[in-house]
Amino acid sequence: MKTASPQASPAVVFRDVTKVYNGRVTALDHVSFEIPRGATVALLGPNGAGKSTAIDTMLGLRKPTSGDVRVLGMSPAAAVAAGKIGGMVQTGGLPDGAKVSELIALFRQLYRARRSQADLLRLAGLTDIADRRVEQLSGGQIQRVRFALSLAGRPDLLFLDEPTAALDVEARRAFWQSVQAIADQGTTVLFATHYLEEADANASRIIVVSHGRIMADGTPSQIKAYTSVRTIRFSTPVPDTSSLLRLPGVSDVVASGDAVTIRSGDADATLPALYALGQPVRGLEVGGGGLEEALIALTGDGDTAAVPVTSSFDMTRVG
Amino acid sequence: MIAFLRFEIVRTLRNVRFLIMLIAFPVLLYLIYAKQHGTAQGLTVATLLLVSMAVYSGMGSAMFASGPQLARERHNGWMRQLRISPIGTRGWFAAKLVQSVLMIIPGLAVLVVLALTYGHVHLAAGRLGMLAVIIVLGTIPFCAAGLVIGLMFDSQTAQVAQMITLLVMAFLGGIFISWSSLPSGMQTVGKLLPSYHLAQLGWNAAAGRPLGMSHVAVLAAWTVGLGAIAAWRWRQESTAA
Repeated sequence: MKTASPQASPAVVFRDVTKVYNGRVTALDHVSFEIPRGATVALLGPNGAGKSTAIDTMLGLRKPTSGDVRVLGMSPAAAVAAGKIGGMVQTGGLPDGAKVSELIALFRQLYRARRSQADLLRLAGLTDIADRRVEQLSGGQIQRVRFALSLAGRPDLLFLDEPTAALDVEARRAFWQSVQAIADQGTTVLFATHYLEEADANASRIIVVSHGRIMADGTPSQIKAYTSVRTIRFSTPVPDTSSLLRLPGVSDVVASGDAVTIRSGDADATLPALYALGQPVRGLEVGGGGLEEALIALTGDGDTAAVPVTSSFDMTRVG
Repeated sequence: MIAFLRFEIVRTLRNVRFLIMLIAFPVLLYLIYAKQHGTAQGLTVATLLLVSMAVYSGMGSAMFASGPQLARERHNGWMRQLRISPIGTRGWFAAKLVQSVLMIIPGLAVLVVLALTYGHVHLAAGRLGMLAVIIVLGTIPFCAAGLVIGLMFDSQTAQVAQMITLLVMAFLGGIFISWSSLPSGMQTVGKLLPSYHLAQLGWNAAAGRPLGMSHVAVLAAWTVGLGAIAAWRWRQESTAA
């Protein structure tokens, strides 16, 4: 399905990209990154961080103020015209009067490389509502139709901008299963989310964006490690809180019966020391210090000194 | 582009109520006035009115093929979804143009049948054919007008903008009332409008007179001008903001 020559070029190259709206709101501030082919990457950040702007730029819906954006070794416009990329953009509505099956059939014809109608209906969980009209669909169903449309061309590169916003838990699970199946077929996937759990569970790499800048870029465990706080839970017959408090890295100990919860800034040091106490330790669990805390820690936690020029920054919907 | 055109036509045809409303008004006017006696522009009232109503119906259908619906679909994000598909700007514009032209045909057909039966209009097949061609091709500037309205206005104001445009075109262009009975200032404005020139072409065709190339030139100029504005708005929206 893929041509030989541009195979070597990365799926996405962002080189020193800046996007300024109306000459004053900086949505992207000298952003550079590369995404190799076949990767599944999350763009993670609060609303207004610049995720949608970045995705719109890669889809050719917006032009960067400065810098260079290449997708699949081409300009975004060329990649769109060639039908090589698919996308689920935010607020991508559907036209009244059309049936689900007609929309999918249309997109299969607009793209040269096609998935079968049945495959698309199945991947997006639409088989039962293929004959419904757009006006009769719920928000979650519309989102699934848009997912099917983004897959119609069997794209080499798939962009998903907050794709699960209107989906319930069950639909979310099915959605990510389908994304996984598509990624397994070799499609590069880039999705934006403001949920760290979603990025953690579905991406092999997370790029954290805030205030139009990349704050962190790494594997999910690397990203989660940015929050040094870990919660260590275990049970022990007679908890000795004062000796537990003296363990390296420990900031807080809560004991309730034989259940103990320790908060540690350095779990790697705390755990050996805990076992060295010689007390029986059962059912040990180490949890991240709250996934959302990691995100807030990374994105500056309302630290206005770090806010460049973004005026539309909004932390309220983190988590 | 063919696939998109078919898709657009299927979903438009599904909106039967909309299509009936589009045709109903000019048909009703024809039924009311066609039986009047007299001649004007060298034509019987029934023939004159056939042309007027065909122009009016054509303008409305052409503009409504894009207009408010386009504004709505820009607003709800469907246009963004289309822009990231391989349909391309040219394919989209071509499909919209053909769709607009096809939308004209039902209204025109109903009016012609009505004129030949109810209105007892006798037109040679050649003249009738010429009239049909003029109406279909002559409403292309109004397709462009619909695109401009759909691309310039938001979903709420596009409907109003469209109605005002249509009524101004109809009144000042001499379609609802005789152009010569307008105040002179309005006559000047009316004579600049594409509706005036389309109606003149239609009446000339029906009466077997020379069509008048100046009318064709004005319609072509409107098409180019409005088309350029639509293309500019399209580009502006796809790259800026």
